Amino acid sequence: MSESDVIDYEIENNEAKMGIISTKNLSKIYNPDTIPVHALRNVNLDFEVGEFTTVKGPSGSGKTTLLNMIGGLDKPTEGSVEIDGIQITGMKESKLIDFRLQNIGFVFQSYNLIPVFTAYENVSFIMLLQKRPKKEMEMRAKELLEAVGLKDKYHSRPKELSGGEQQRVAVARALASQPKFILADEPTANLDTKSAMNLLDMMEKMNREENVTFIFSSHDQRVIDRAKRVITMVDGAIESDETR
Amino acid sequence: MLLNISWRNVWRHPARSGVLLCAIIAGLWAGIVVSAWTNGLIDQRIKRVIEEELTHLQIHHPDYLVEREPTMVVDQTEAIGNLLSSDERVTGYTFRTKSDGIIQSPLTSSGVQIIGVDPDREREVTTFHENLISGEYLDADVRNPVILGRALLEKLNVEVGNRVVLSFQDIDNNFTSGSFNIVGMYYTGQPALDEFKIYVRAADLSGLMSPEQIYHEIAVMLEDVAESPGLAAELNQQFSHIKAETWTELSPELRYMTDAGSSSSFYVMVVIMFALAFGILNTMLMSIFERMRELGMLMAIGMGRSKVFIMIMTESVMLTITGAVLGMLLAYGTVEIFSETGFDLTSVGGDSMREFGFDAIVYPKIAGEEYIMIAILVIATALLAAIYPAIKALRLNPGEVVRE
Repeated sequence: MSESDVIDYEIENNEAKMGIISTKNLSKIYNPDTIPVHALRNVNLDFEVGEFTTVKGPSGSGKTTLLNMIGGLDKPTEGSVEIDGIQITGMKESKLIDFRLQNIGFVFQSYNLIPVFTAYENVSFIMLLQKRPKKEMEMRAKELLEAVGLKDKYHSRPKELSGGEQQRVAVARALASQPKFILADEPTANLDTKSAMNLLDMMEKMNREENVTFIFSSHDQRVIDRAKRVITMVDGAIESDETR
Repeated sequence: MLLNISWRNVWRHPARSGVLLCAIIAGLWAGIVVSAWTNGLIDQRIKRVIEEELTHLQIHHPDYLVEREPTMVVDQTEAIGNLLSSDERVTGYTFRTKSDGIIQSPLTSSGVQIIGVDPDREREVTTFHENLISGEYLDADVRNPVILGRALLEKLNVEVGNRVVLSFQDIDNNFTSGSFNIVGMYYTGQPALDEFKIYVRAADLSGLMSPEQIYHEIAVMLEDVAESPGLAAELNQQFSHIKAETWTELSPELRYMTDAGSSSSFYVMVVIMFALAFGILNTMLMSIFERMRELGMLMAIGMGRSKVFIMIMTESVMLTITGAVLGMLLAYGTVEIFSETGFDLTSVGGDSMREFGFDAIVYPKIAGEEYIMIAILVIATALLAAIYPAIKALRLNPGEVVRE
């Protein structure tokens, strides 16, 4: 499959076209000319469709850097990242943005919703970027908000939602583009226990019933406990990789 | 989509956008009103000078305006008059006999410019007669009538009805005098003019200067002032020993005044645009710094840098256009109201303005194309001012900002 094919590619069915992430000898050194910081050291990992994986480790262990590399938000110093056989390392910026739009869903620690948009608009915005038909967009945005339990909050703006509700909108937004996988960086860090559990229940259900692939970075035990696979990082290197 | 998100972003901080909006409205309102006031002031001054005496075009002996010799009369006045009468561009013309001389009262004397006019023609061509504040015009049934300015009457200590003696050179360069009856008093508000120019009948003055009727000046009013250079050129080509000149050639200071007015309006607008540019720059930079993480998120999820750039530029233009439209509407309303009622400065320096030849009541005016030019200027300023913040946003590394 060529790069341009990938850009126009939309997954109709996650199960039919399984995405695989592969990192090869991935290394990242910040400030190489002054005080070098080895954020990643020779990381080799493979992820398959349907995984519910947590990358854990103490602060500064390289979890977020790894997710940023997989998501194409940062460039490695050495090594490469392949998604569905396409090497995204070294991909042209404009193509990479399009690639992310079509293939990767993001959930951030601090939700990062667009404050001037309603929940419905936040979810449909990414589909607007994808230039989806209006009807399909409306239907999917409503379905997703319903799926994350926010049926009655379509027209609420982020400031009118609780932290847990905002993060649910963020998950719905990440799913809206029908990505191959979702990268969630510390998704429960700002949530109380109840909200965190609800969110995890919802994501677990989506993973179980719809085979949505989730890769978390977290040191939250609640997330770690739910994961089917736990990758532990220390000082930028993989210390362990357990499948439960 | 971009328009929608941009418009909502503009109103994300209503107070901040509102303050900038008010600044744009006030700035544009002030700029346009000041420009309109300047235009009105200068136009009224030019109109007044032209309509009272200067007219659109004058014809003299080629050297008369430099040497002012009584012998330098306009030749072929009949032929020129016939041509002007048949020209559709001409609305009226009048002949004048002129001389520099001395006016004497029983008490004192003063140097004056004596302007001999054809009362009927002059009344049709100029509005000088409207300045008469006492007595009669030159068509009074009196021998050798003369009209003096109020300042000169006071200086000579004479009144309407008194006699004065005018002394001047005839065409043989002999000194000649005549007794004239003061029939009227005029007032222009400009002491320099009121004290210097006196008006008599051309026939009376000519009779004392020459055995034949002589004229030193033909003043012409046209339907459209823009036709004056063309007609002047045609007259100069057709008649020898004359020099036809337009009002801008005859009174270059008036043209400089127009240019100065345009320049001052331009500089006022430039200052306003500078202030506007810094206001936009400041607001947009604040907005960008506040939204770093959000912009990073937009780029992370797949919004291209070009779209982010356009979104920020659009925000700036939308905010500015909103202010510009409101500012221009407010200015339009103000100019419309005062163009009817006039802006009365009588109580605040009106006398000083009149002394310099300006009206104390100013009717502001501004052309439609000036509004368009200002609108273009405002949009260009908004775009230029937003470039730096937009570039700042483009330099964001989404990976770094979302992590922060």
